[in-house]
Amino acid sequence: MANRSQLGFQDASSPIMEELVQFHDHALMVALAICSLVLYLLTIMLTEKLSSSTVDAQEIELVWTILPAIVLIMLALPSLQILYMMDEINEPDLTLKAIGHQWYWSYEYTDFKDLMFDSYMIPTADLPLGHFRLLEVDHRVVVPMESPVRVIVTADDVLHSWAVPSLGVKTDAIPGRLNQTSFVANRPGVFYGQCSEICGANHSFMPIVVESAPLANFESWSSLLSSQ
Amino acid sequence: QSFKLLGFLDVKNVPCARESVLYGSLGSFVMGLGHFLATSRVRRSCDVAVGGFICTMLGYWFYCRYNLAQQRIRQRMLKEGMKNRIFFEGTYLDPEKKQTGSERSDS
Repeated sequence: MANRSQLGFQDASSPIMEELVQFHDHALMVALAICSLVLYLLTIMLTEKLSSSTVDAQEIELVWTILPAIVLIMLALPSLQILYMMDEINEPDLTLKAIGHQWYWSYEYTDFKDLMFDSYMIPTADLPLGHFRLLEVDHRVVVPMESPVRVIVTADDVLHSWAVPSLGVKTDAIPGRLNQTSFVANRPGVFYGQCSEICGANHSFMPIVVESAPLANFESWSSLLSSQ
Repeated sequence: QSFKLLGFLDVKNVPCARESVLYGSLGSFVMGLGHFLATSRVRRSCDVAVGGFICTMLGYWFYCRYNLAQQRIRQRMLKEGMKNRIFFEGTYLDPEKKQTGSERSDS
């Protein structure tokens, strides 16, 4: 989860998010170079007298057409690479359905057994000491680690959005539509997210918690829940 | 803790960022000073210094990120290899067993 006053990304927990963080760093370095140049040019403009006898400037026109084109290519190529990587067809080991309601999420694991549950936020008054306010839920989404997971997201009433920043996932939940996304949690852990599309009074109070566990733990959890 | 240049680039936590900015500053100083010593033109030397900063910084950045990407790929391959070695040890898919088996058949 994000720390207090955190501005940057959370630590990546999936290969796609790692690539996104790398691309973000690359884009910011390009932005730093451009900002340095612009700051320098501004300083020059502000400290010199305004006079121009220029009627023709072919060279500078060429430079400030080609250089921005090169910069755009430097940004576009890795961006497209990641975009296509996100849409790669992989064979998921697990399919999970996430359905947004006002104001909770419900999940269905219907691959092997009919396993369904609702996931409500734990109110602050009932929160145990040391747990995260407005982020903890009563039933977490458990997924096996290092396994491709397909998530089908939809909604029951109004627009919602299923987002888990550290996994690099954000997908709109639209009533009457099934949206698909996938991720691979490459380490065990608990990953928090929040509804990311305004959906009413309690929009801020329907978090998402994904718990990534080794396969054996996932199997024992699903057996336990199925038997209840 | 983070140290953000111009308020957005965290040079402490972004790999290669600190070295890029430092090498860029060094390159800028060397090129600007060298140009000034050669031509005694202050304004043009400042332009060369800024251009040198941008080119050196971006040049080292691409070089460092390329090496970092290669290292990450090697780390992933190593991690996968170690996992497979543990997973397949003692089975007919064990690559070490296949190697010793072929050595025995050669001798």
